[in-house]
Amino acid sequence: MDAKNNIKNNRESASKDRQKAKDVRLSNISASKAVADAVRTSLGPRGLDKMVQEEAGDVLISNDGATILSKMRVEHPAAKMLVDLSKAQDIEAGDGTTTVVVIAGSLLSACLTLLGKGIHPSLISDAFQYAVEKAEEILDKAAQPVDVNDRTAVIQAAATALSSKVVSQHATLLAPIAVDAVTRIANLEEPDAIDLRNIRVIKKLGGTLDDTELFEGLVLNQHVNKSAGGVTKVAGAKVALIQFCLSAPKTDIENNIIVQDYSAMDRVLREERQYILNLCKKIKNTGCNVLLIQKSILRDATSDLSLHYLAKMKIMVVQDVEREEIEFIAKSLHCVPIAGIDSFVPEKLAKVDLVEEVSVGSEKMVKMSGIQGKHKTVSIIARGSNKLMLDEAERSLHDAFCVVRSLFRRRFLIAGGGAAETEVAVGLNKIAKTLEGAAAFCVRAFADALEVIPYTLAENAGLPSIEIVTELRNRHVQGDKNAGINVKKGNISNMVEENVVMPLLVTVSALRLATECVRMILKIDDIVMTR
Amino acid sequence: MSSLAIYGERQSGEDVRTQNITACIAIANILRSSLGPVGLDKMLVDDMGDVIVTNDGATILKQLEVEHPAAKVLVELAQQQDEEVGDGTTSVVLLAAELLKRADDLVRRGIHPTNIIAGYRLAMRESCRFLRDTFAVSVEKLGKSCLLNTARTAISSKIIGSEIDFFANLAVEAVLAVKRKTEVGKYKYPIKAINILKKSGKGARDSQLLKGIGLNVTRASQGMPLRVSPAKIACLDFDLRRSKMKMGVQVLVEDPKELERIQEKEYEVTKSRIEAILKAGANAIFTTKGIDDAALKYFVEKNAIAVRRVAKDDMKRLAKATGASVQLTMADLGGEESFDPSFLGSAEEVVEETISDDKFIFVRGCKNLASGTIVLRGPNEYMCDEMSRSLHDCLCAVQRALESNYVVPGGGCVEASLSIFLENFATTLGGREQLAIAEFSDALLVIPKTLAANAALDATDMIAKLRAVHNAAQLDSNKGNLSHMGLDLENGHLRDNLEAGILEPAMSKIKSIQLATEAAITILRIDDLIKLKKKQEDESGEY
Repeated sequence: MDAKNNIKNNRESASKDRQKAKDVRLSNISASKAVADAVRTSLGPRGLDKMVQEEAGDVLISNDGATILSKMRVEHPAAKMLVDLSKAQDIEAGDGTTTVVVIAGSLLSACLTLLGKGIHPSLISDAFQYAVEKAEEILDKAAQPVDVNDRTAVIQAAATALSSKVVSQHATLLAPIAVDAVTRIANLEEPDAIDLRNIRVIKKLGGTLDDTELFEGLVLNQHVNKSAGGVTKVAGAKVALIQFCLSAPKTDIENNIIVQDYSAMDRVLREERQYILNLCKKIKNTGCNVLLIQKSILRDATSDLSLHYLAKMKIMVVQDVEREEIEFIAKSLHCVPIAGIDSFVPEKLAKVDLVEEVSVGSEKMVKMSGIQGKHKTVSIIARGSNKLMLDEAERSLHDAFCVVRSLFRRRFLIAGGGAAETEVAVGLNKIAKTLEGAAAFCVRAFADALEVIPYTLAENAGLPSIEIVTELRNRHVQGDKNAGINVKKGNISNMVEENVVMPLLVTVSALRLATECVRMILKIDDIVMTR
Repeated sequence: MSSLAIYGERQSGEDVRTQNITACIAIANILRSSLGPVGLDKMLVDDMGDVIVTNDGATILKQLEVEHPAAKVLVELAQQQDEEVGDGTTSVVLLAAELLKRADDLVRRGIHPTNIIAGYRLAMRESCRFLRDTFAVSVEKLGKSCLLNTARTAISSKIIGSEIDFFANLAVEAVLAVKRKTEVGKYKYPIKAINILKKSGKGARDSQLLKGIGLNVTRASQGMPLRVSPAKIACLDFDLRRSKMKMGVQVLVEDPKELERIQEKEYEVTKSRIEAILKAGANAIFTTKGIDDAALKYFVEKNAIAVRRVAKDDMKRLAKATGASVQLTMADLGGEESFDPSFLGSAEEVVEETISDDKFIFVRGCKNLASGTIVLRGPNEYMCDEMSRSLHDCLCAVQRALESNYVVPGGGCVEASLSIFLENFATTLGGREQLAIAEFSDALLVIPKTLAANAALDATDMIAKLRAVHNAAQLDSNKGNLSHMGLDLENGHLRDNLEAGILEPAMSKIKSIQLATEAAITILRIDDLIKLKKKQEDESGEY
């Protein structure tokens, strides 16, 4: 009797499992699709923005896919994979973070249809892998090589990346800045080693984006300490970056200095003066005339007394340098941070032609120009009329840097405006016809899914999407590889002639990452909640 | 649409846009009735019970604590206009809200927001070009009366409008008094150098412009002279009280006599400092910190004025004007304490004067820079506060007119003319932007409309007349003089506002059109609003 029951139970649970696997897959797919739908409207040059109000009440307006998704706090575990996907694209290519999510969403809905036809998930997954490999080949063929020394070509790619952002009207100004910035820090021999951390964007409220500039040298966000009437402009500067404090040493909390005699009071005061004076004199003796002091939480970085002495010695003081900034500053100035007064030697100083404090709007900053040696870093001073705009400008500039970096890594450009995706779709459709079995089905579905990009582009621009996409497909079948949607004029035209181009790396990485993510979601057949 | 599970609320598409726009219009409606010379005031009471009476747009919005994120954009807009221009804060908000309202209508008629944005942007650029190239009149051409008129226009809408000539004069004189040349040879009018002191009592008319720097402080002791001349000024940023030992230094005595000596020593240190300062020749000593009562006698003996607790900003201004350098300590490079005469600044006189019941210190004839002080009088504190805000707007307007050198006639004249210009411009375009530009042109009319409505005039009638006149002016070159026609709100008809002296700085108008359009576009571009919920404390480990 027991045995019979067991068998029955087993059979029941097995059928339940099958049911469950299907449900889990469906729920995963629909949750992920919802994420893709959420960012869909911000794709392309005419895409719209999202406003996110964080719990503290801060407002963020952006149309950068990765930024929006990371702020959205998605709950569903599968949906979270899409959020990570856009993050991955952000790290890998920096741009196309919306594109990658939209493609993944479209591929997932293709999966739904395929699953409905009874095709096994593993089959779909393998077919997609095959399709993406073929897609890369097609893209390689469609891409055109670019000479990274050709500044205008690189600028065009950066401008395309910027065209979809809030700051699009300033693309003509920001694109050259981004290109120059990356070119300056790049080592053409080792394109993989481009470290975007060597570009620093300083945000200053006020003015308009038109006032944004690339600065040759170093810009510090801090202001000069003038409470003792110190200098604000030093020509032929010798800059020291110090990590110790110029204030009276403190005893430990448990210890006290005990004064029992009135003459000792005089000594306490005098000793303090003498101690600080000695520090300042040692600094002066090395020829240093600009002092950057790291922020300290344990002690005051400077005291009234030391500021007073330094001002008298005509040494400019910039305080509150953050710990994280030290590396960047040391790299830009070719100097060594100095940890104690005993190691304060002239060899550790940086030579700079001019250090001066300038005021921008209601704020101040310190500019250092004419740094000796090769520039390893650049600073960009971004201006904007409000904080939302400024933050978005910074994000957009980051995207532009990434685009330029991608171009340095892989020196190919491909037509934008949906041209690349359509070309792949048309090519894959041809390949699908040579295949047999379920794979043919899947590859064709993959190809059709890619058309979501031109479709969405047209839709976001307020154009009749079906007419546009069918015409686009037609043009590609006839061999016009670079035909894409001209969003401004509302028709199909040659994207390369219109200068709408993007790095091959961005498109390839978007396709590859999206496919991988979809394959992963497909293979999940159970969710186990653990505590 | 499938549901997307996020920790919070999400709205998207048409709903969000309409909701955002409604919030913005609500903000604008609050300000609507305070626009223009006959606009009314708002009384704001905060949770502490403090009262502010004002009709300055930026001030009202700052106090409102708006919560809606889109409405916040408008509040920021007013703040920005206040910072960059200083005047026209109400009109910029009205314009932005009107642009949004019309955009919403267009979207409902099936025009994609991106087309509207493109149209607005184009319209904005064209209007600024039109204003700059053809409409603005240079200050030189109009002569000095134009400054006075600009000041009058800025004041006219404010609480001090009843004393319009008086305050316009005051403002223009004050701004001209602080004129200075920069390194590049341009003239600057830093209105920061104008100090505004508020004192209730007497009427607004008893406000006065005084030369020199006025400080809201008194002599430290009655025994000090009321006036020193010529003054040698020492600016100190340290305490002249009994010098206490630093933290971590403990005084331990066993003998009571020792205690006395230590106290004596503490006085001694301060005394020697004061003596060093006086020896350097200072006869007016200002410090941001305190002075011990016991130490005052040293100053009295030497017939010097000592002033304690001077505000830091005042101190900076004082040091700049008199050429003094603010000293943080008296230590010298020998490791001892001394005071060098070169730290002193000089002025013709430092004097304590009584205005109403209160005493003020005035520093006149400063060596380096001219500066002015306006003492405002009024029946009560709120009035004085509002007067100081109004005067600030007015000073800004005069400064802008002087620095940007161009003015435009006010009273709805600019807006009417731009509206006609844009309407004609729109018809030359074939694209979808045409509709947006036409709406932009209509939206501009919100300013004359509101002006007329606030003045209890028939807005529809007045606008029709105004538009007819401007249309004629732009079509027929013989009637070019008609282009300066604007509303006369007192008499309810049209007049040449350039002649009538209703002037505004051109830069203020251009900026407000730019800023309003930018803000409207920012809001229009939003099609999704995600509000995140607060994370519960106990859940924080799980996510």
